[in-house]
Amino acid sequence: MDVLVMIVAAIVTVIAVGLFARTVVGFVRQFKVGKSINRTDKPALRTLTLLKEVFLATRLKQKPVGPIVAVSHLIVLIAFGVLFFTLVTAYGQLINPDFALPLIGHWPAFSYLIEIMSWLMVLAILILIAVRVARRPNPQQPRKSRFFGSTMWQAYYVEFTILAIGIFVLALRAAEYARGSVQGEEFIHSNFPLTGWIGENWTGLSLETLATLILLLAFGKILVSMAWFVTVAMTPTMGVAWHRFLAFFNVWFQRNANGKPALGQLEPIRYDGVALDFEKLDDFPDDIALGVTAMTDFSWKALLDFSTCTECGRCQSQCPAWNTEKPLSPKLLTIAMRNHAHAISPWMTATEEERAHLDPALIELAEKPLVGEDGVITDDILWSCTTCGACVNQCPVDIAHIDHIVDIRRSQVLVLSEFPTELNGLFKNVENKGNPWGMNASGRNDWISEVDFDVKVFGMDGEDTIPEDIDYLFWVGCAGAYEDRAKRTTKNVAELMNIAGVSFMVLGEGETCTGDPARRAGNEFLFQMQAAQNIEVLNEIKATKIVVTCPHCLNALKREYPQLGGNYEVVHHTELLNDLVKAGRLTPVNKIDQTVTYHDPCYLGRHNQVYNPPRELISATADSFVEMDRNRDKSFCCGAGGARMWMEEKLGTRINQTRGDEAIATGAKRIAVGCPFCSVMLNDAVNTRQQEPGRALGVEVVDVSTLLLDAAKS
Amino acid sequence: MGEVLVLVDAADGSVKKVTTELLTLAQSLGEPSAVWIGPGYTDAAGATLGEFGAQKVYVADSADYINHPVAPKAEVLSKLVADQSPIAVLIGSSPEGKEVAARLAVRTNSGIITDAIGIAPDLTATQSIFGGATVVQSKVSAGTPIITVRPNSTAPVANAGAATRVDVSVELSAAAKSATITNRAAAVKGGRPELTEAAIVVSGGRGVGAAEGFGVIEDLADSLGAAVGASRAATDAGYYPHAFQVGQTGKTVSPQLYIANGISGAIQHRAGMQTSKLIVAVNKDAEAPMFELADFGVVGDLFTVVPQLTEEIKKRKG
Amino acid sequence: MKIAVCVKQVPDSWAEKKLRDGDSLLDRDSVEAVLNELDEYAIEEALQITEAQGGGEVVIVTMGPERAGEAVRKALSMGADSGIHLVDASLAGSDAAGTSYALAKLLEGRGFDLIMFGSESTDARMSVVPSMVAERLGLPQLTFANKVEVSGGTVTIDRVGDYGIETISAATPAVLGMIERSNEPRYPSFKGIMAAKKKPVETVSAADAGIDAGAVGTSGSWSQVNSFAARPPKAAGVVVQDEGAGGVAIAEFLDAQKVL
Repeated sequence: MDVLVMIVAAIVTVIAVGLFARTVVGFVRQFKVGKSINRTDKPALRTLTLLKEVFLATRLKQKPVGPIVAVSHLIVLIAFGVLFFTLVTAYGQLINPDFALPLIGHWPAFSYLIEIMSWLMVLAILILIAVRVARRPNPQQPRKSRFFGSTMWQAYYVEFTILAIGIFVLALRAAEYARGSVQGEEFIHSNFPLTGWIGENWTGLSLETLATLILLLAFGKILVSMAWFVTVAMTPTMGVAWHRFLAFFNVWFQRNANGKPALGQLEPIRYDGVALDFEKLDDFPDDIALGVTAMTDFSWKALLDFSTCTECGRCQSQCPAWNTEKPLSPKLLTIAMRNHAHAISPWMTATEEERAHLDPALIELAEKPLVGEDGVITDDILWSCTTCGACVNQCPVDIAHIDHIVDIRRSQVLVLSEFPTELNGLFKNVENKGNPWGMNASGRNDWISEVDFDVKVFGMDGEDTIPEDIDYLFWVGCAGAYEDRAKRTTKNVAELMNIAGVSFMVLGEGETCTGDPARRAGNEFLFQMQAAQNIEVLNEIKATKIVVTCPHCLNALKREYPQLGGNYEVVHHTELLNDLVKAGRLTPVNKIDQTVTYHDPCYLGRHNQVYNPPRELISATADSFVEMDRNRDKSFCCGAGGARMWMEEKLGTRINQTRGDEAIATGAKRIAVGCPFCSVMLNDAVNTRQQEPGRALGVEVVDVSTLLLDAAKS
Repeated sequence: MGEVLVLVDAADGSVKKVTTELLTLAQSLGEPSAVWIGPGYTDAAGATLGEFGAQKVYVADSADYINHPVAPKAEVLSKLVADQSPIAVLIGSSPEGKEVAARLAVRTNSGIITDAIGIAPDLTATQSIFGGATVVQSKVSAGTPIITVRPNSTAPVANAGAATRVDVSVELSAAAKSATITNRAAAVKGGRPELTEAAIVVSGGRGVGAAEGFGVIEDLADSLGAAVGASRAATDAGYYPHAFQVGQTGKTVSPQLYIANGISGAIQHRAGMQTSKLIVAVNKDAEAPMFELADFGVVGDLFTVVPQLTEEIKKRKG
Repeated sequence: MKIAVCVKQVPDSWAEKKLRDGDSLLDRDSVEAVLNELDEYAIEEALQITEAQGGGEVVIVTMGPERAGEAVRKALSMGADSGIHLVDASLAGSDAAGTSYALAKLLEGRGFDLIMFGSESTDARMSVVPSMVAERLGLPQLTFANKVEVSGGTVTIDRVGDYGIETISAATPAVLGMIERSNEPRYPSFKGIMAAKKKPVETVSAADAGIDAGAVGTSGSWSQVNSFAARPPKAAGVVVQDEGAGGVAIAEFLDAQKVL
């Protein structure tokens, strides 16, 4: 029997390792098809980031899933590595029941480690199984589960394999103890702290029986392990298993070497790995591929992202689109891309010549469009994204969902001309009128006539650069110039700067849309035209310090313009005003005797990490401040980002209403915001409720600056 | 006194109001003659034309003239211009009227002025251009002045004319017969006009409060023959279908008259209607930005103001 | 099928427009110039016709100063094949009659099956040029179409007439005019913009086209502007408080404005 067992184990092992190796090669070949992108800068920092994310579980411990799962996961992760030694031991035990690893096999410290890790692993995996069972989709509200759409059998299979391995290791150790005990070995007293008590029950068995028990347990352990390798090898789309290997690479190669989530600026549009400059339009080849039209247009990192997805669904649980019954879930989108990539991998990795000889069914599949009714994802999925960044911020393996979604939008807009018709108006207005609403440029200074102090408009006194004595260029923005509530914010900020003695200047008709909505909608060409125009003006007049009231302008000016040669120090008005209050240049004299809550705009918070200044300002101006359930980096989008402000929201419930209701539920009388678009969206939501009798009575949505102005004026 | 030809605009045998306006204008310029093209001329029609001063009515009543678009009318008028040497030809500024005028101008080597809102006795026409921003006085300097006049430019004044029938017949050119009308479908009776093309749009917003509330908006629209629009707040709240949304993410309209009811006037709405010629606003909130845009505004409850307006319009329209 | 789409470069439709003091012509320099947006419906329809037929040629035709070439490029970026740009100093200030004469001279003999137009230009808003061109070329006139069917040598349209929808057919060659909402003009793809740069645009002078200089331009105009005045800026509206007669007040206002 021993020989038979050994032969079977050897054959199984060879097959498993062979298949596994073949699949690994398949992964590498597929990733190599992806377009080039440089992700190897600062290798030391990247390694440090990897270690932090793995061992401190910096991403994984985030709420709402929280630390219990993070710690359990960390234990399993470490145990998986450590217990590899027990697999080696098991092979030895097939030959000799008393086999122990040389040198360390009977070293007490090693034994303690193995036993502690095994027990912990069993406990941890039971917790993880329990969490998965408890959080599984329930038939009434399946979408509420973050596991909705995850392949549950795969996860259970992986988890039960780990559980089984743990039990095998413990049972083996107990049998080793029993055999050692019968043989009168000394080492058993110092090597089986947590399994000796089990082995004690088997000391009545004969040495032969114990040898057979060890043989069978070791064989069983090997079979379970190899079955796992075979299953995983045969299922390259089994993210929950493959992340065990791929996640390390995905984390190391993430966009930011320092581990900051891939938010703020978008990745530039690339061709052959080089960021495109549309100023050099004439040098572009005629058949230039823009954005992602086919799977092969993705970068290798995007393909790695898709394969790494563990289907944990943390992104899904945070996604404003998913939570309002839209068809988009960042997880399901990633899974769809991954599954399609692997389904057509033989086609992707083939040369043009080889492709012609492939199975016609495969060729047909490869020609399936990424987007459309018969596509890998539907148009509704693609265009539901608000680019709020909640998914990117959550993802434990650093998948950059937004970059991929926008890259697909780029192709839809620039190559295929397939996009929601409402965007036509947006694009035309930005292109022809320099603002999304198609207002006349001459209206940009209208607000100035509504304030009773002087506002300097650049060029009025014939200057051709911003004078030295000007502290800030005040970038008013389109909303700030044209939209009524945002105009009030503009006037507030101007007045507050005036009171505090901050000198500022505006560009007036020299301003034009930063291009943010065009870029989020995939129109990189229009974005670059707008950006080039603005950068030319800003560089020419030597702008250095800029204050904005719109987080989208902030993100464009501060995070995106550097990609095109515009480098400025840009602050949001809440940052500037908070500094002025702290410096005593603005004093809230009359505190507002109302409770205030604050909605974090995605492009101020998650994308630019400005969380505290608005809160400090509110605390300085209002009697009491209350947080919404979802706040700071877990804030829930208002629904306007990603150019959604310019599209109709026809599917599911309304994102702004969901957020508005959450704000109303705090009982606060003032809902403070720091973004003109959040202001419009939440105002709409609150107004809707105010029409219903007894709801949201006397609740007002205001910009933070309004609170400060109310408090600063007595 | 020179003769002034007026092309009669009639539907189902009855003379349109715009024709009585043109005849009234023609009285101030010379001797009005009506030109009836197509079958269906009746004594009653002749009586109406006479009532507003037509001395002669040229009748070209072959069905041939209306079985082909535009060109036959231009050829009939062209023959009359050649035969009668009128001092001017007046045509209503409907889309087809302007096209007839266009072909007539080419055929007779004459200057054309479209969309006049007034004509002085010396045939200087007044036009309002650029959405009403500029008023222009212009004059035709070649051939027979061909002027299309906007409806409602003048109030019809009765001044009896003989309305003597003069039959006219013209051999149509091959070119005029090269396009043939094979079918006519009357505009659906009672149906509201298309939102983007309506001369009048009556819109409701959040202030309408509920889907049922749109009843008063529709009543007002129907009394004016107007299209119904809605703000994004109203369509989002489900008060009215999305297809009727006016604004940034909906339709852009530019009617002669826009009546905004319970619409605050957020920029996203204004983006879709700010080029309307005349804007009337009704809103409870005196601070609503829509009032800044409005030519006439009423601060009040739309559920009392709008039904009253509907009644008043019905009364005035008789 | 060979289709000409006549387009015009106009001042941005929403910009404030004014007449020049000297010659009473539209001051085109002070405002952004764009492709007349109503022409986009004709371009779109032309593209759809050739696409449906699986071939053909769409030629963009314009008359205007040098910079009107931008409007042609814009139209080409939507997918048209080539352009013809009639540019000549003698043409400046042409009225509708002169314009239609020049276009007719330019178009005749080029073998177009369809000569297409938008319903009007957003600056002059006369909507007479398509009819004039049809008259001059002796072609059937199929204008104000909101639906077009081309089969063989026959074109059938649904014309939105003054009193309903008329179905009209004619044999090609014909003049075809499209109205707004007849289709949804495409937003030029980037590929289209790239391709447009390399598409041929033939520049033609008045003499090349055999145009009699006396019949065009300001001097060839058959009508003239005697005077003009900017209407005083829109006075602030009247806002009244409803005290029981708000509806009647509106009706009175509307009556006074002659919109009832």
